[in-house]
Amino acid sequence: MICALFGRIFRSHMKRSAQRIVVNTVMSSTSPQKAPEPSSSSLLSFVPGGSALSGLNSKFQGWRASLGLSNPGTAENLQKEVKATLLQNMFFDGARADLSKSLSMNPVFQVTHSFALGSQTAPPSYNFGAVFANNNIFLQGSMDDGGNLSMRFNQGWGGNHVTKVQSQISSQPGHSMIQIEHDYQGADYSMNVKTLNPSVLDGAGIYIGSYLQSITKNLALGVESYLQRADPSSSELNTQFMAKYTSTDKNWIATAQLQPAGILSATYWQKLSEKVDVAADLQVLALPDRRDAVATLGAKYDLRFSTFRAQLDSSGKVSAFLEQRFAPTFAFLVTGEIDHFKNAAKVGVGVMIESSSLTPEEMGLTPEGLPLPPP
Amino acid sequence: MPSEETKERIIKAIDLGRTVLHYGWVPFIIYIGYTRSNPQPSLIKLISPLA
Repeated sequence: MICALFGRIFRSHMKRSAQRIVVNTVMSSTSPQKAPEPSSSSLLSFVPGGSALSGLNSKFQGWRASLGLSNPGTAENLQKEVKATLLQNMFFDGARADLSKSLSMNPVFQVTHSFALGSQTAPPSYNFGAVFANNNIFLQGSMDDGGNLSMRFNQGWGGNHVTKVQSQISSQPGHSMIQIEHDYQGADYSMNVKTLNPSVLDGAGIYIGSYLQSITKNLALGVESYLQRADPSSSELNTQFMAKYTSTDKNWIATAQLQPAGILSATYWQKLSEKVDVAADLQVLALPDRRDAVATLGAKYDLRFSTFRAQLDSSGKVSAFLEQRFAPTFAFLVTGEIDHFKNAAKVGVGVMIESSSLTPEEMGLTPEGLPLPPP
Repeated sequence: MPSEETKERIIKAIDLGRTVLHYGWVPFIIYIGYTRSNPQPSLIKLISPLA
Protein backbone atom coordinates (compact mmCIF):
# COMPACT_ATOMS: atom_id res chain seq x y z
CA MET A 1 0.00 0.00 0.00
CA ILE A 2 2.69 2.43 1.04
CA CYS A 3 4.88 1.27 -1.82
CA ALA A 4 2.04 1.93 -4.22
CA LEU A 5 1.52 5.38 -2.77
CA PHE A 6 5.19 6.24 -3.07
CA GLY A 7 5.25 4.83 -6.56
CA ARG A 8 2.37 7.05 -7.53
CA ILE A 9 3.92 10.12 -5.96
CA PHE A 10 7.21 9.42 -7.67
CA ARG A 11 5.58 8.80 -11.01
CA SER A 12 3.47 11.93 -10.82
CA HIS A 13 6.52 13.89 -9.89
CA MET A 14 8.53 12.51 -12.80
CA LYS A 15 5.67 13.32 -15.08
CA ARG A 16 5.40 16.85 -13.79
CA SER A 17 9.08 17.56 -14.14
CA ALA A 18 9.02 16.10 -17.64
CA GLN A 19 6.13 18.38 -18.47
CA ARG A 20 7.94 21.31 -16.99
CA ILE A 21 11.00 20.61 -19.08
CA VAL A 22 8.81 20.44 -22.16
CA VAL A 23 7.18 23.75 -21.25
CA ASN A 24 10.56 25.33 -20.61
CA THR A 25 11.99 24.24 -23.92
CA VAL A 26 8.88 25.44 -25.66
CA MET A 27 9.09 28.77 -23.90
CA SER A 28 12.71 29.21 -24.80
CA SER A 29 12.31 28.30 -28.45
CA THR A 30 11.35 31.17 -30.71
CA SER A 31 8.59 29.50 -32.70
CA PRO A 32 5.31 29.72 -30.78
CA GLN A 33 4.11 26.23 -30.03
CA LYS A 34 1.75 24.77 -27.49
CA ALA A 35 2.94 22.30 -24.92
CA PRO A 36 1.42 18.90 -25.61
CA GLU A 37 -1.60 18.32 -23.41
CA PRO A 38 -1.71 15.04 -21.55
CA SER A 39 -3.92 12.86 -23.72
CA SER A 40 -7.10 11.79 -21.99
CA SER A 41 -8.29 9.58 -24.83
CA SER A 42 -5.69 6.90 -24.13
CA LEU A 43 -8.20 5.27 -21.78
CA LEU A 44 -10.59 4.64 -24.66
CA SER A 45 -8.03 2.78 -26.70
CA PHE A 46 -7.93 0.18 -23.98
CA VAL A 47 -4.61 -1.50 -24.56
CA PRO A 48 -3.92 -3.93 -21.72
CA GLY A 49 -1.12 -3.18 -19.29
CA GLY A 50 0.90 -0.04 -18.68
CA SER A 51 -0.60 2.37 -21.17
CA ALA A 52 -4.05 2.07 -19.58
CA LEU A 53 -2.47 2.72 -16.22
CA SER A 54 -0.55 5.72 -17.46
CA GLY A 55 -3.74 7.02 -19.09
CA LEU A 56 -5.49 6.70 -15.76
CA ASN A 57 -2.59 8.42 -14.12
CA SER A 58 -2.63 11.34 -16.54
CA LYS A 59 -6.39 11.61 -16.09
CA PHE A 60 -5.87 11.68 -12.33
CA GLN A 61 -3.21 14.36 -12.74
CA GLY A 62 -5.51 16.40 -14.96
CA TRP A 63 -8.31 16.11 -12.44
CA ARG A 64 -5.93 17.04 -9.65
CA ALA A 65 -4.67 20.10 -11.55
CA SER A 66 -8.27 21.15 -12.28
CA LEU A 67 -8.93 21.49 -8.54
CA GLY A 68 -6.58 24.46 -8.49
CA LEU A 69 -5.09 23.66 -5.10
CA SER A 70 -2.21 25.75 -3.89
CA ASN A 71 0.90 24.64 -2.06
CA PRO A 72 0.15 24.25 1.67
CA GLY A 73 3.58 25.44 2.85
CA THR A 74 6.04 23.14 4.55
CA ALA A 75 5.28 21.00 7.58
CA GLU A 76 8.04 22.76 9.46
CA ASN A 77 6.43 26.15 8.81
CA LEU A 78 2.96 24.99 9.84
CA GLN A 79 2.91 27.46 12.72
CA LYS A 80 5.07 30.12 11.09
CA GLU A 81 2.61 32.98 11.43
CA VAL A 82 1.97 32.22 15.09
CA LYS A 83 5.67 32.02 15.83
CA ALA A 84 6.23 35.37 14.13
CA THR A 85 3.49 36.98 16.24
CA LEU A 86 4.40 35.53 19.63
CA LEU A 87 7.68 36.60 21.16
CA GLN A 88 9.01 33.33 22.65
CA ASN A 89 11.59 32.96 19.92
CA MET A 90 12.99 36.46 20.12
CA PHE A 91 13.00 36.99 23.87
CA PHE A 92 16.33 37.73 25.53
CA ASP A 93 17.42 39.20 28.84
CA GLY A 94 20.43 41.27 29.83
CA ALA A 95 22.10 43.49 27.27
CA ARG A 96 23.07 42.70 23.72
CA ALA A 97 24.47 44.43 20.70
CA ASP A 98 24.45 43.21 17.13
CA LEU A 99 26.71 44.94 14.66
CA SER A 100 26.15 43.69 11.17
CA LYS A 101 27.96 44.82 8.11
CA SER A 102 26.79 44.33 4.56
CA LEU A 103 29.76 43.96 2.26
CA SER A 104 27.92 43.04 -0.89
CA MET A 105 24.29 42.99 -2.01
CA ASN A 106 24.41 40.66 -4.99
CA PRO A 107 25.50 38.07 -3.98
CA VAL A 108 24.64 38.80 -0.35
CA PHE A 109 27.68 38.84 1.89
CA GLN A 110 27.38 40.01 5.46
CA VAL A 111 29.37 39.67 8.66
CA THR A 112 27.93 40.07 12.16
CA HIS A 113 29.49 40.69 15.54
CA SER A 114 27.14 40.03 18.46
CA PHE A 115 27.82 40.75 22.09
CA ALA A 116 25.62 39.57 24.96
CA LEU A 117 26.06 40.48 28.60
CA GLY A 118 24.32 40.16 31.95
CA SER A 119 21.79 37.45 31.15
CA GLN A 120 20.35 35.42 34.04
CA THR A 121 20.56 32.20 32.10
CA ALA A 122 23.61 32.48 29.83
CA PRO A 123 27.17 33.66 30.46
CA PRO A 124 28.49 36.75 28.62
CA SER A 125 29.35 35.85 25.06
CA TYR A 126 30.73 37.12 21.81
CA ASN A 127 29.66 35.66 18.52
CA PHE A 128 31.07 36.20 15.05
CA GLY A 129 28.91 35.27 12.12
CA ALA A 130 29.16 35.34 8.36
CA VAL A 131 26.48 34.88 5.71
CA PHE A 132 26.86 34.37 2.01
CA ALA A 133 23.93 33.80 -0.33
CA ASN A 134 23.23 33.82 -4.01
CA ASN A 135 20.29 32.45 -5.96
CA ASN A 136 21.02 28.80 -5.26
CA ILE A 137 23.32 28.64 -2.27
CA PHE A 138 22.99 29.91 1.27
CA LEU A 139 25.98 29.61 3.61
CA GLN A 140 25.87 30.72 7.20
CA GLY A 141 28.30 30.15 10.02
CA SER A 142 28.85 31.59 13.44
CA MET A 143 31.48 30.93 16.05
CA ASP A 144 31.20 31.99 19.67
CA ASP A 145 33.97 32.76 22.15
CA GLY A 146 33.82 29.21 23.51
CA GLY A 147 34.73 27.83 20.11
CA ASN A 148 31.31 26.44 19.31
CA LEU A 149 30.36 26.54 15.66
CA SER A 150 26.83 26.63 14.39
CA MET A 151 26.42 26.34 10.66
CA ARG A 152 23.80 26.14 7.96
CA PHE A 153 24.12 25.24 4.34
CA ASN A 154 21.21 25.30 1.89
CA GLN A 155 21.48 24.27 -1.71
CA GLY A 156 18.62 24.83 -4.11
CA TRP A 157 18.49 22.49 -7.09
CA GLY A 158 15.83 24.27 -9.12
CA GLY A 159 12.34 22.84 -9.48
CA ASN A 160 11.50 23.42 -5.80
CA HIS A 161 14.08 20.98 -4.46
CA VAL A 162 16.19 22.22 -1.56
CA THR A 163 18.78 20.33 0.45
CA LYS A 164 19.66 21.72 3.86
CA VAL A 165 22.42 20.87 6.28
CA GLN A 166 22.45 22.26 9.77
CA SER A 167 25.05 21.53 12.39
CA GLN A 168 26.34 22.53 15.78
CA ILE A 169 29.90 21.53 16.56
CA SER A 170 31.41 21.93 19.97
CA SER A 171 34.84 21.05 21.25
CA GLN A 172 33.22 19.22 24.17
CA PRO A 173 32.38 15.66 23.17
CA GLY A 174 28.69 14.79 22.98
CA HIS A 175 27.48 18.32 22.27
CA SER A 176 27.70 18.18 18.50
CA MET A 177 24.80 17.52 16.20
CA ILE A 178 24.13 17.46 12.50
CA GLN A 179 20.85 17.49 10.62
CA ILE A 180 20.53 16.79 6.93
CA GLU A 181 17.21 17.31 5.17
CA HIS A 182 15.68 17.50 1.76
CA ASP A 183 12.59 19.51 0.92
CA TYR A 184 10.37 19.26 -2.09
CA GLN A 185 7.38 21.50 -2.70
CA GLY A 186 4.97 20.32 -5.36
CA ALA A 187 2.00 22.16 -6.79
CA ASP A 188 -0.36 21.09 -3.99
CA TYR A 189 1.82 19.18 -1.57
CA SER A 190 5.13 19.39 0.31
CA MET A 191 7.45 16.61 1.36
CA ASN A 192 10.45 16.60 3.60
CA VAL A 193 12.84 13.91 4.74
CA LYS A 194 15.43 14.55 7.37
CA THR A 195 17.91 12.77 9.52
CA LEU A 196 19.54 13.80 12.78
CA ASN A 197 22.97 12.52 13.79
CA PRO A 198 22.95 9.58 11.39
CA SER A 199 25.65 7.04 12.04
CA VAL A 200 27.37 5.63 8.99
CA LEU A 201 28.44 2.50 10.84
CA ASP A 202 25.26 1.05 12.32
CA GLY A 203 22.43 3.22 10.98
CA ALA A 204 21.61 4.68 14.39
CA GLY A 205 20.07 8.13 14.54
CA ILE A 206 16.74 9.85 14.11
CA TYR A 207 14.90 9.80 10.80
CA ILE A 208 11.88 12.00 10.10
CA GLY A 209 9.65 12.07 7.05
CA SER A 210 6.70 14.39 6.54
CA TYR A 211 4.07 14.92 3.87
CA LEU A 212 1.54 17.73 3.75
CA GLN A 213 -1.19 17.78 1.13
CA SER A 214 -3.85 20.37 0.28
CA ILE A 215 -7.22 18.63 0.36
CA THR A 216 -9.41 21.59 -0.49
CA LYS A 217 -8.55 25.21 -1.20
CA ASN A 218 -8.62 25.88 2.53
CA LEU A 219 -7.67 22.65 4.23
CA ALA A 220 -4.35 20.83 4.24
CA LEU A 221 -3.69 17.56 6.05
CA GLY A 222 -0.36 16.00 6.80
CA VAL A 223 1.49 13.26 8.55
CA GLU A 224 4.94 13.16 10.06
CA SER A 225 6.74 10.00 11.10
CA TYR A 226 9.62 9.93 13.46
CA LEU A 227 11.89 6.90 13.66
CA GLN A 228 14.39 6.80 16.48
CA ARG A 229 17.08 4.13 16.31
CA ALA A 230 19.31 4.09 19.36
CA ASP A 231 21.16 1.03 18.06
CA PRO A 232 20.47 -1.49 15.30
CA SER A 233 18.41 -3.74 17.55
CA SER A 234 15.97 -1.20 18.96
CA SER A 235 13.96 1.40 17.17
CA GLU A 236 10.90 3.43 18.00
CA LEU A 237 8.41 4.84 15.53
CA ASN A 238 6.11 7.75 16.33
CA THR A 239 3.64 9.38 14.01
CA GLN A 240 2.00 12.74 14.31
CA PHE A 241 -0.88 14.18 12.35
CA MET A 242 -1.23 17.76 11.18
CA ALA A 243 -4.06 19.89 9.90
CA LYS A 244 -4.02 23.47 8.68
CA TYR A 245 -7.05 25.51 7.75
CA THR A 246 -6.48 28.79 5.92
CA SER A 247 -9.41 31.11 5.33
CA THR A 248 -10.20 32.00 1.74
CA ASP A 249 -8.96 35.57 2.12
CA LYS A 250 -5.89 34.26 4.03
CA ASN A 251 -6.73 36.48 6.99
CA TRP A 252 -6.82 33.72 9.53
CA ILE A 253 -5.13 30.35 9.93
CA ALA A 254 -5.89 27.55 12.36
CA THR A 255 -3.54 24.60 12.81
CA ALA A 256 -3.51 21.45 14.92
CA GLN A 257 -0.83 18.86 15.52
CA LEU A 258 -1.66 15.65 17.32
CA GLN A 259 0.60 12.88 18.55
CA PRO A 260 -1.48 9.83 19.43
CA ALA A 261 0.56 9.34 22.60
CA GLY A 262 -1.28 12.36 23.97
CA ILE A 263 0.35 15.60 22.85
CA LEU A 264 -1.80 18.20 21.16
CA SER A 265 -0.72 21.57 19.86
CA ALA A 266 -3.35 23.89 18.45
CA THR A 267 -2.84 27.42 17.17
CA TYR A 268 -4.92 30.21 15.76
CA TRP A 269 -3.64 33.31 13.98
CA GLN A 270 -5.60 36.23 12.65
CA LYS A 271 -4.74 39.44 10.86
CA LEU A 272 -7.03 42.03 12.39
CA SER A 273 -5.85 44.90 10.23
CA GLU A 274 -2.84 45.92 8.16
CA LYS A 275 -0.91 46.61 11.35
CA VAL A 276 -2.25 44.20 13.95
CA ASP A 277 -1.86 40.42 14.13
CA VAL A 278 -3.12 38.29 17.00
CA ALA A 279 -2.24 34.69 17.80
CA ALA A 280 -3.30 32.03 20.27
CA ASP A 281 -1.47 28.85 21.06
CA LEU A 282 -2.54 25.87 23.15
CA GLN A 283 -0.23 23.01 24.14
CA VAL A 284 -1.80 20.02 25.87
CA LEU A 285 0.20 17.16 27.33
CA ALA A 286 -1.93 14.22 28.42
CA LEU A 287 0.58 11.45 29.00
CA PRO A 288 -0.25 8.70 31.54
CA ASP A 289 2.27 10.03 34.05
CA ARG A 290 2.08 13.72 33.30
CA ARG A 291 -0.76 16.09 32.50
CA ASP A 292 -0.09 19.67 31.62
CA ALA A 293 -1.44 22.45 29.45
CA VAL A 294 -0.28 25.94 28.55
CA ALA A 295 -2.25 28.53 26.63
CA THR A 296 -0.65 31.66 25.19
CA LEU A 297 -2.30 34.72 23.76
CA GLY A 298 -0.34 37.39 21.94
CA ALA A 299 -0.57 40.41 19.68
CA LYS A 300 1.83 42.14 17.33
CA TYR A 301 1.60 45.76 16.20
CA ASP A 302 3.59 46.78 13.15
CA LEU A 303 3.93 50.53 13.35
CA ARG A 304 5.83 52.72 10.97
CA PHE A 305 9.15 52.73 12.77
CA SER A 306 8.59 50.09 15.39
CA THR A 307 7.22 46.65 16.10
CA PHE A 308 5.57 45.91 19.41
CA ARG A 309 4.66 42.44 20.67
CA ALA A 310 2.82 41.61 23.85
CA GLN A 311 1.75 38.26 25.22
CA LEU A 312 0.12 36.61 28.17
CA ASP A 313 0.19 32.94 29.06
CA SER A 314 -1.59 30.65 31.48
CA SER A 315 1.57 29.97 33.50
CA GLY A 316 1.35 33.54 34.77
CA LYS A 317 3.86 35.19 32.49
CA VAL A 318 3.31 38.58 30.91
CA SER A 319 5.90 39.70 28.41
CA ALA A 320 6.48 42.44 25.90
CA PHE A 321 9.00 43.22 23.22
CA LEU A 322 9.58 46.55 21.50
CA GLU A 323 11.76 47.03 18.48
CA GLN A 324 12.17 50.70 17.67
CA ARG A 325 13.96 51.80 14.51
CA PHE A 326 15.44 55.27 14.94
CA ALA A 327 17.08 55.11 11.55
CA PRO A 328 17.11 52.50 8.81
CA THR A 329 20.41 51.23 10.14
CA PHE A 330 19.84 51.58 13.87
CA ALA A 331 17.29 49.70 15.96
CA PHE A 332 16.75 49.68 19.70
CA LEU A 333 15.19 46.69 21.46
CA VAL A 334 13.54 46.44 24.87
CA THR A 335 12.10 43.25 26.30
CA GLY A 336 10.50 42.48 29.61
CA GLU A 337 8.86 39.54 31.28
CA ILE A 338 7.11 39.21 34.62
CA ASP A 339 6.34 35.78 36.01
CA HIS A 340 3.52 36.44 38.46
CA PHE A 341 3.37 32.91 39.88
CA LYS A 342 7.11 32.66 40.59
CA ASN A 343 7.47 36.34 41.41
CA ALA A 344 10.36 36.80 39.02
CA ALA A 345 11.16 39.30 36.30
CA LYS A 346 13.55 39.63 33.41
CA VAL A 347 14.52 42.71 31.44
CA GLY A 348 16.58 43.02 28.31
CA VAL A 349 17.89 45.90 26.22
CA GLY A 350 19.67 45.69 22.92
CA VAL A 351 20.89 47.63 19.92
CA MET A 352 21.14 46.51 16.34
CA ILE A 353 23.45 48.50 14.10
CA GLU A 354 23.81 47.81 10.45
CA SER A 355 26.59 49.46 8.59
CA SER A 356 27.51 49.16 5.01
CA SER A 357 30.64 49.89 3.09
CA LEU A 358 28.59 50.22 -0.07
CA THR A 359 27.56 53.41 -1.77
CA PRO A 360 23.85 53.80 -2.53
CA GLU A 361 24.56 53.02 -6.19
CA GLU A 362 26.17 49.72 -5.26
CA MET A 363 23.23 48.79 -3.08
CA GLY A 364 20.96 49.02 -6.07
CA LEU A 365 19.36 52.30 -5.06
CA THR A 366 20.29 54.08 -8.27
CA PRO A 367 17.29 56.05 -9.52
CA GLU A 368 16.17 54.82 -12.88
CA GLY A 369 17.13 56.89 -15.88
CA LEU A 370 20.57 57.73 -14.55
CA PRO A 371 23.26 55.78 -16.36
CA LEU A 372 25.28 53.47 -14.14
CA PRO A 373 28.98 54.32 -13.92
CA PRO A 374 31.12 51.92 -15.92
CA PRO A 375 32.52 49.11 -13.78
CA MET B 1 29.35 -5.72 7.90
CA PRO B 2 32.69 -3.88 7.80
CA SER B 3 35.61 -5.25 9.75
CA GLU B 4 36.88 -3.64 12.95
CA GLU B 5 39.77 -2.06 11.10
CA THR B 6 37.51 -0.40 8.52
CA LYS B 7 35.24 0.81 11.30
CA GLU B 8 38.17 2.37 13.07
CA ARG B 9 39.21 4.09 9.85
CA ILE B 10 35.69 5.44 9.21
CA ILE B 11 35.48 6.82 12.75
CA LYS B 12 38.84 8.53 12.30
CA ALA B 13 37.77 10.01 8.96
CA ILE B 14 34.53 11.35 10.47
CA ASP B 15 36.45 12.90 13.36
CA LEU B 16 38.86 14.56 10.95
CA GLY B 17 35.97 15.82 8.84
CA ARG B 18 34.28 17.26 11.91
CA THR B 19 37.45 19.09 12.97
CA VAL B 20 37.94 20.52 9.49
CA LEU B 21 34.31 21.69 9.42
CA HIS B 22 34.57 23.11 12.94
CA TYR B 23 37.54 25.36 12.28
CA GLY B 24 37.25 25.75 8.52
CA TRP B 25 33.61 26.67 7.93
CA VAL B 26 33.64 30.37 8.93
CA PRO B 27 36.97 31.04 7.12
CA PHE B 28 35.52 29.22 4.12
CA ILE B 29 32.45 31.50 4.02
CA ILE B 30 34.67 34.55 4.40
CA TYR B 31 36.89 33.36 1.57
CA ILE B 32 33.90 32.66 -0.71
CA GLY B 33 32.30 36.00 0.19
CA TYR B 34 35.56 37.90 -0.23
CA THR B 35 36.29 36.47 -3.66
CA ARG B 36 32.75 36.59 -5.05
CA SER B 37 31.65 39.95 -3.62
CA ASN B 38 30.94 42.80 -5.91
CA PRO B 39 32.74 45.14 -5.22
CA GLN B 40 35.50 43.37 -3.32
CA PRO B 41 35.68 44.66 0.26
CA SER B 42 38.90 45.53 2.05
CA LEU B 43 40.17 43.01 4.59
CA ILE B 44 40.10 45.36 7.56
CA LYS B 45 36.41 46.09 6.99
CA LEU B 46 35.79 42.38 6.91
CA ILE B 47 37.17 41.61 10.35
CA SER B 48 36.92 44.71 12.52
CA PRO B 49 33.54 45.61 14.03
CA LEU B 50 34.37 49.33 14.00
CA ALA B 51 35.88 50.01 10.59
